[in-house]
Amino acid sequence: MSEPGHWFESDPLWFKRAIFYEIHIRGFFDGNDDGAGDLRGLVDKLDYLQWLGIDCIWLLPMYVSPLRDGGYDIADFFAIHSDYGTVEDFRTLVEQAHQRGVRVIADLVVNHTSSDHPWFQEARQNRDSPKRDWYVWSDTDERYQGARIIFVDTEPSNWTWDPIAGQYYWHRFFSHQPDLNYDNPEVQEAMLGVLRFWLDLGIDGFRLDAVPYLFEREGTNCENLDETHAYLRRLRSEIDARYPDRVLLAEANQWPEDVVEYFGDDGDECQMCFHFPVMPRMFMSLRREDATPMYEILERTPSIPDNCQWGLFLRNHDELTLEMVTDEERDYMYAEYAKDPRMKLNLGIRRRLAPLLDAGQDEMQLMHAILFSLPGSPVLYYGDEIGMGDNVYLGDRDGVRTPMQWTSDRNGGFSRADFAQLYLPPLMDPVYGYQAVNVEAQLRTPNSLLRWLHRFIALRKEHPVFGLGSYEPLRPDNSRIFAHVRRYEEDIVLCVHNLARSAQATQLDLSEFEGLIPEEMLGRTSFPPIGKLPYLLTFSPRGFFWFRLRRP
Amino acid sequence: MTERFLIDEQQLIEYIVGQRWFGTKTREVSRANVLDVARLRSTPPELFLLLVEIRFPEGTHDLYQVPVGVDEDGEWYDALGDPSLTRELVHLIRSGATEQARDGMLDFRSVPGFAALGRELQQARTISTEQSNTSIVFDDEMILKAYRRLEAGVNPELEMLRFLTEHGFRNIAALGGWYAYSGRPLDATLGIVQQYLAGALDGWELALDELASAPERFLGRLRRLGEVTGTMHSVLGSDSSDPAFCPEETSSESLGLLTATVDEEIERVFLELGGEEALAPIAGRGEEVREQLRNLSHFGTVGRVIRHHGDFHLGQTLWWSDDWAIIDFEGEPARSLTERRRKRSPMRDVAGMLRSFAYAASAVEILRGTPAPPGWEERARAEFMEGYLATVDQSLLPPGRSAIDRLVCIFELEKSVYELRYELNNRPDWVGIPVAGILRMLDATAPA
Repeated sequence: MSEPGHWFESDPLWFKRAIFYEIHIRGFFDGNDDGAGDLRGLVDKLDYLQWLGIDCIWLLPMYVSPLRDGGYDIADFFAIHSDYGTVEDFRTLVEQAHQRGVRVIADLVVNHTSSDHPWFQEARQNRDSPKRDWYVWSDTDERYQGARIIFVDTEPSNWTWDPIAGQYYWHRFFSHQPDLNYDNPEVQEAMLGVLRFWLDLGIDGFRLDAVPYLFEREGTNCENLDETHAYLRRLRSEIDARYPDRVLLAEANQWPEDVVEYFGDDGDECQMCFHFPVMPRMFMSLRREDATPMYEILERTPSIPDNCQWGLFLRNHDELTLEMVTDEERDYMYAEYAKDPRMKLNLGIRRRLAPLLDAGQDEMQLMHAILFSLPGSPVLYYGDEIGMGDNVYLGDRDGVRTPMQWTSDRNGGFSRADFAQLYLPPLMDPVYGYQAVNVEAQLRTPNSLLRWLHRFIALRKEHPVFGLGSYEPLRPDNSRIFAHVRRYEEDIVLCVHNLARSAQATQLDLSEFEGLIPEEMLGRTSFPPIGKLPYLLTFSPRGFFWFRLRRP
Repeated sequence: MTERFLIDEQQLIEYIVGQRWFGTKTREVSRANVLDVARLRSTPPELFLLLVEIRFPEGTHDLYQVPVGVDEDGEWYDALGDPSLTRELVHLIRSGATEQARDGMLDFRSVPGFAALGRELQQARTISTEQSNTSIVFDDEMILKAYRRLEAGVNPELEMLRFLTEHGFRNIAALGGWYAYSGRPLDATLGIVQQYLAGALDGWELALDELASAPERFLGRLRRLGEVTGTMHSVLGSDSSDPAFCPEETSSESLGLLTATVDEEIERVFLELGGEEALAPIAGRGEEVREQLRNLSHFGTVGRVIRHHGDFHLGQTLWWSDDWAIIDFEGEPARSLTERRRKRSPMRDVAGMLRSFAYAASAVEILRGTPAPPGWEERARAEFMEGYLATVDQSLLPPGRSAIDRLVCIFELEKSVYELRYELNNRPDWVGIPVAGILRMLDATAPA
């Protein structure tokens, strides 16, 4: 039929202005009353997401999996886990989301499979199996000693003996997740086929999990190798040629100077990478009431190609990772944010945003304001928009993956199944439980975090400058103030944030903008025009202002 | 046919900014870029269809359809004002042509059996009553409506007309064809051709005339309008095999989403209120209005949601051949296309029409110098609702009359707030009408 078939204006850089929303399908909404969230349930909640104003959903892995690592252990790349639905349900989700102006990307693990994957099952049977060479085998566990062990709490080695295969196999993560052998061209081709399958279904991109580890070379740390970059370039050129307006988002938990490698020299690898180290420094700055750690990490962040973007977040489905901080900083973070040892996991803190900030609404708003003001695309984690809590008594990272709290009804409105059937118990404590914290109540409360965030998302979306503009730190004398200017085309925005628990004043050198009038963006209030003298601003505790600098 | 078309950017900006259909008159324009162009006629006057991007200083942009004619001297002008060129567009629709633009494609399609397309066209006159589009009437038989501001996706009007036609709803002007663009910048519906209901009376004008001369007769017509509206909603909610129209149960938070949206509208409007005399009755009462909204929203469910008219008022109706016809299915032009395609409770249309009665009752005095008979508005509401409830599929409604009244009340409040903003910006003399609407909401106790 000769009618428009898609619902977006073409925009190869859409992700630069987008606000992402990360969803754990199992925890979002149960559409078939079996106690676990599913794709149909997510479709039911698209109106909510459209209202919230997010641009793109990021789904945690939804593939067939034994779920020994939250679905990052994939046993079939071409099928949906039966708890979540079917490929047809996924197609419906994408279509329904697109009709609401919302895009969908999904996690994809390219580095390894589950040990249950038929490829591995075939490979381990004998040395002549055609799949044998799809994984990395060795007769000794001595090779690649330069590679660190990532899950230090559970894995003694990157090699595990397989009695069926009669050899050791290589795994950078859990021992039930054998690494694929990217030196084998068949593996490279097979993974391209996986991407094509989902792209043909309409998916808007992938968050590529664990990309630094695709290849292994003796005498290296087996991370960020040239061969890995070459393969990413191949994925990207395939996508650019056949699938316009799709995005590759790399998870490379590395220092920014190493992460930028994943954008490629000319922006020809992944369009987006997460900026991991900025996040712990935001929490550090808040607790120390000192903007210095944030200025420093942003200073240390190299510039990136114009067609690329950082992904920024406050919290996600993993622990608040402290790999990218010094030992001293880590000790500080543990002391301040993980007073109970149960809150620590690997090198990080497994807590949600609200408990980290002691449920302070001013603090949550301030942290979102800073996040939204930084050069990059914000990624929100489901439940953090209502200030959901966590459950440190649940194992691994389940504590931050509890059911979304929709209402104060049974099971928090998440599921009509029996309580005992739920995949995890919803929070029921007096502070963060679903009776106190839920979407329904916050929708009805004009001053709730949810309602505030909704307005704030709308504000950010009116100004492409936040996604596309320059970042120019101001560094006023008062180190408790985080102040910077963003500029794009003719739009100039000044963002100033008070990290302190107390009221503050500061003077800003704005002489460059003499004659312009700062207009506060939320309330549209005009402030006195900028003159030659330093510009004086006062702040309430944890207060912030965003100003548009407009001509009189 | 493709052709490079050179046009001076400054000239183009000045032209577009000066047009009635240019949506953002208050905003400065920084650039105009021609994203794509198709030559649809190559003998003078030539016909070009431009897809123009208007950029704003903040770096945002809007897209517009700009058909231009070029005369023998190379001067360009608005093609939709030239009968020979608009006939050309209709000819392309009739022949089902596909034309190559520089980058994308233009598809012209006709609905089989649409008689008016088969005839030779004589007269063409351009009418531009709507802000967001341009309409041309041919021989009092057919109307071509070109959408000016473009958004990605199917225009809801095309979807709605096609659906209503296929499902046998007769109180519309039949769809004759459409044309659409698909290409790198976007896929979008550019325009439609519809039957022109010659001799039809505009519902709004009829309301004013009869309010002054025969108010009782008009009440009878409103009962019929209620019936037609109820039937329209029943049809719109009748096909669960079509995902775009399938009626849906609402989720637990849909009432919350609705009231949150309306609440924010109220807050924003009251923040911006000035000290005008007409505003005195509601000045400083924003919090009361919000409180009233909260009181109204304490009920269980909003019922089912369906595709609906979206911008329903007397001005979107015609009295033709002894019955009502409903027109203009685009939805409120200020809202985004994804928003206008959203399924909502049919009570939203009902509320829009009820507000229109308040307008008519006040406007007859302003425009015709005759006050409406006392109690007319209340009776008009009652007649319309009776007709409506008699024909509408009950399963689409919230359960019980009280829930219906509350939901209508919330939508009326939403509409009044929208009207208030509109009148303040456009017709300060009319501000009293939405003010009275809001006041009535405030002074009424919430329906039990």
